Amino acid sequence: MYLAQSFLHSLIAALIVDTALLAWKIEAPVIRQRFRLLVIVLPIISFPLYQFMTPDRGSALFRLDAYFDMGRWLDLELWGKVPAGVLFLLFLVFTAVVFVLQEMLPIARHTLSSGEGALDGVRPEPESRVTRALEGIPGRRPEVFIIDDEAFAMFSSTGKEPAVYLSGGLVEKLTLDELRAAIAHEIGHIQRSRRPAMVLIFILRVLMFYNPIALMEFRRIIQEEEKICDDVASSLTGDRAALAGALRKFYNADNEDPASPREDASRLRDRIEEYSHTLLIEERITRLEEPAAPAVSMSAVYLVVLMTILAVNYYVV
Amino acid sequence: MKRTLGGMLVFLTMIAILTGLLQLLNWIPSAVQDGAFQRYASIDEVRARLKISTVYTPVYYPRTVQWPPSLIAAQTRPYPAVVTEFVKSDDPGVTILVITQTALPHPPLVEKFRLAAVRESVRFEFKGRTALLEVGVCRRDEQCCRMTWNEGNVGIALVMRSSPVELVRIAESMITRPHEAGHSAESPGKERDTPGTRN
Repeated sequence: MYLAQSFLHSLIAALIVDTALLAWKIEAPVIRQRFRLLVIVLPIISFPLYQFMTPDRGSALFRLDAYFDMGRWLDLELWGKVPAGVLFLLFLVFTAVVFVLQEMLPIARHTLSSGEGALDGVRPEPESRVTRALEGIPGRRPEVFIIDDEAFAMFSSTGKEPAVYLSGGLVEKLTLDELRAAIAHEIGHIQRSRRPAMVLIFILRVLMFYNPIALMEFRRIIQEEEKICDDVASSLTGDRAALAGALRKFYNADNEDPASPREDASRLRDRIEEYSHTLLIEERITRLEEPAAPAVSMSAVYLVVLMTILAVNYYVV
Repeated sequence: MKRTLGGMLVFLTMIAILTGLLQLLNWIPSAVQDGAFQRYASIDEVRARLKISTVYTPVYYPRTVQWPPSLIAAQTRPYPAVVTEFVKSDDPGVTILVITQTALPHPPLVEKFRLAAVRESVRFEFKGRTALLEVGVCRRDEQCCRMTWNEGNVGIALVMRSSPVELVRIAESMITRPHEAGHSAESPGKERDTPGTRN
């Protein structure tokens, strides 16, 4: 019952959060991310919380007066034989398998390859463009390494000695301002990775390994994270246009990839992922090309949304 | 301010639509398949609609129990079960007695209230049956008791916020014949002990 209710509670929370984001036209990624977190956090605690508040919540009378009783659907017999509950369970198992294959295995592989020293690169020359770009960034700066790769690539490693890795191709193609903005974006990731909240979000996500809504919402949180780091970069460099320019070059590089015959399912999946990635970059470019929206406090709205989710989900058993 | 109020209006409208949609989705299973757990107006309606021939109901009700039942609900899917709840006669907001019958080997439906702590548990012989009688407390330390036994392939459970004496009298009034699964009438009478009445 916990699995069924936490799935339903996260689905309803996602609908309510999306409604709130639309209704109040909330654009700031930091606030959007905070709202989206409700979809992951609340369903974990809602079931035990409601049971504590109302021990007879599973009773016949409560179920009859509920907005929605999942048991009624799970007890349906499909084709007169198969209980719908079995299909629902299979669906959750499928989600858990997708979670392991798409999220846990890549992380495990990345961790193993990091241990093998796969992230080899060279420090930039003192008078190089990378060093000059770094000098324009205020505050504590991480180590920067250039890796021998003609493709457009940029990422950061976190931990005790965080570092930013840039590919040779990227350094060659970006202007000085764009390079500075791109490095500042990675600094944003490094700064935010130190926040315990981000670690906690990931742990909660792992706990909800069976929940497809949590899986989707976690990805949307990651997308908001990219936009937050765009804002960090803009605040560090004061140049939104430079970051938009760097992203546009990324976008063009993605689209210039040689077309290859894409027929099988894995190619199709790759294309869908690329399409989704491209859409995100386009969205980020559009956002950066518009003037920054003024910061507005949404605490009251947040409280309204939180209470609404708790109230509606209370009657979903 | 205008944006906040406008947003609130849109938000509340959408939430109203969402709750309406949830209730619509909740109704669909009962429309698609008979036998989903739902409320009924009377025991006769349960018998007629769900074809549950034997519904065990007491013919004795203590003065503290309000008749008719505050809830009669039943299902045949995924297994037959009937639950009847009664409120206190002097406080209609408080459920005092819950009776469930469930096709074995399924557990009883979750009751409105349950024993938080069992202080005494005894085997109780009555009318040729052996019941398990538990005495303890519900929430807020109220005295509660529970009695369970099997009638053929049906498990019966009674939970009451009261002394076991009253519960035993109610249970005894549900059995019309010794050693035989039967049923008794819905009784509008109070403080009457009329075992053997049968519909």
